[in-house]
Amino acid sequence: MSAETGRESRRSGVLVDAMRWMENLSDTQYAYLLLIPVFVLLGVVALYPLLRTFELSLYATSLDLTSRGFVGIDNYVQLFTGGKNRFLPGGTTFLPQNLSLDAMLNSALVVTIIFAVVSVAFETLIGLGQALILDQDFYGRRWIRAAIIIPWAVPIVIQGMIFFLMFNSNVGFATPPLADLGLLAPTNTLNDTASATFIIIVADIWKTSAFMALLILAGLQSIDRGLYDVAKVAGASKWQQFKLITFPLILPTIGVAVLFRSVQAMRIYGIIDTVSSCTVVPSLSCMVVATFNTRVGTSAAIAFVTAAIIGAAVMGLIVWQGEDAI
Amino acid sequence: MATATDNDNEGPLTRWVQSAIQNPEKVYRALFYVAMVFFLVTTLFPFYWLLVLAVTPSGRLLSGSFLPTIDLFGVSATFPLPVPKGFNPAAFVSVFEQVPFHLYMLNSFALAVTTTVIVIVVASLAGYVFGRLRFPGRAVLMLGILAVSYFPPAAFVIPLFQVFAGNAPITIPFTDFPLFTPPRLLNTPGSMVLPFSALFMPLSIFILTTFYGQIPDGLEDAARVEGTTRLGALFRVIMPLSAPGVATAAVLTFIAVYNEYFFSSIMATSTEAAKWSPIVGGILSYQTQYTTQYNLMAAASIVGVLPVVILVIVAQERIVSGLTSGALKE
Repeated sequence: MSAETGRESRRSGVLVDAMRWMENLSDTQYAYLLLIPVFVLLGVVALYPLLRTFELSLYATSLDLTSRGFVGIDNYVQLFTGGKNRFLPGGTTFLPQNLSLDAMLNSALVVTIIFAVVSVAFETLIGLGQALILDQDFYGRRWIRAAIIIPWAVPIVIQGMIFFLMFNSNVGFATPPLADLGLLAPTNTLNDTASATFIIIVADIWKTSAFMALLILAGLQSIDRGLYDVAKVAGASKWQQFKLITFPLILPTIGVAVLFRSVQAMRIYGIIDTVSSCTVVPSLSCMVVATFNTRVGTSAAIAFVTAAIIGAAVMGLIVWQGEDAI
Repeated sequence: MATATDNDNEGPLTRWVQSAIQNPEKVYRALFYVAMVFFLVTTLFPFYWLLVLAVTPSGRLLSGSFLPTIDLFGVSATFPLPVPKGFNPAAFVSVFEQVPFHLYMLNSFALAVTTTVIVIVVASLAGYVFGRLRFPGRAVLMLGILAVSYFPPAAFVIPLFQVFAGNAPITIPFTDFPLFTPPRLLNTPGSMVLPFSALFMPLSIFILTTFYGQIPDGLEDAARVEGTTRLGALFRVIMPLSAPGVATAAVLTFIAVYNEYFFSSIMATSTEAAKWSPIVGGILSYQTQYTTQYNLMAAASIVGVLPVVILVIVAQERIVSGLTSGALKE
């Protein structure tokens, strides 16, 4: 007893008071107290920048705070009517000028959406294939799984370096065979918009299919194995088992995974910057980075439009999935 | 003679097809192995290409093709796999001599470890709250944190860059009311660790919420009866009992920071190792300074990728469970 009091008294009084105060809080008070660090961090690094980006997007470009010209939604109007195109690097436009492939690939908005749709579509197919393989029991499964996950863990800059070295005009061995097939421009491949977009999509598929595979694998493994036994007894072939049991049951998982990946794909920047350049493949994030030092208003407007598109997709996910999305 | 060979070739094949028709299981087995080999080759081939480039002597990089022409029964054909033109592993030493690549890797490690520690501590508090306490506003707050993880980094970068440049005081958004002038953080760990922590925290919060929520109440109560404080119960009982969950969150955060490109390339305005540029700056500096030293780029990429490859092999169970539980929870 005396030892207890002795130890207590040696502690600083403030600490003891703080501890006692904390012990006496209600659950709700205690919960919010522990969440303070999260609020501070997310407030400083996420909420404040987001609000500020929106604010900056409402002002004309002059950076110095003394002469801020409030222009309302003019930056957005100009962005969508083409008035801002002259500030974008490399003759890029925000919306496509016409419906030709060249104009499409020169538009920041369309290139980002094309990239997201095409790469996610292929990642889903390949991921499904990989997941079906990893779902089997076989000797060495652990090693195969590690090999399939490794691309996901490769730093973006190294992923970019790999594909740069593969298609680079000096040492790249992969350009001539693919150019013979008509898929890539035979010379100056990485500075050709269509070819570079193709290569970047392939690079993204290589890296991210594994992520898709793991999400789908989780869905596969939650399927009740008893269903397959029933199907076998009923004489269903492997294909019928897949079509009637596996596929319908993993469809919701695939849906979530597709939206999740699409949101990530819309952020594409690093791989473009390493493999090619932002003037060749103009993604939305690229345009934000390329203009934020000189044209803050424009840059902020593009950033906010990107966030809004992603926000709309996420809203769709939450409405569609309801409470399960949380 | 030719007919005999034909028959020899046809024999086993016909027999195999015949047995496959009787037993479709065999076809699925064959398909399975074909697909497995295909996926293995496509995922691992790029690393093989890096190795081919890295061991090719720099003098021979630009001469001739990496796809050798071979003599295929009298017809010359192009070998479909690139092979090294000579063998000289010196590139793996030059990598560290030309550019202090080890310093860039150390920077990356330091940034990743710092971020991981911050994320684990802060996300543990949040995971405890969301996993074990019932209070009003819980669902809304979780949704808010989830929303943050969906926003693109581009939506945060402009104000953050201005703040970290430390030129002007921070004002409350939509007013001119100045709060304080921040210190200049560009080219310091702070300008990268802060955004990394915020960006990668939501995933860890969701992983830890799941794991902390599974610890039986009785264990926490027992610790409290023994005289532990509430915080003590979290750090001395719940966290150690959820060690796999904590490890999962830590491994995923570490890999995410090590792999990050966006803030790493923007917040480190120069590619000097002394100015905290991580491997992004290190690898890109071979591209600008030594444009023709492709073998060094390849060797640096191999060196830079080794830590995560080892991590994936050692901690793959944790990565798989974390990605699936975390991402699907979200």
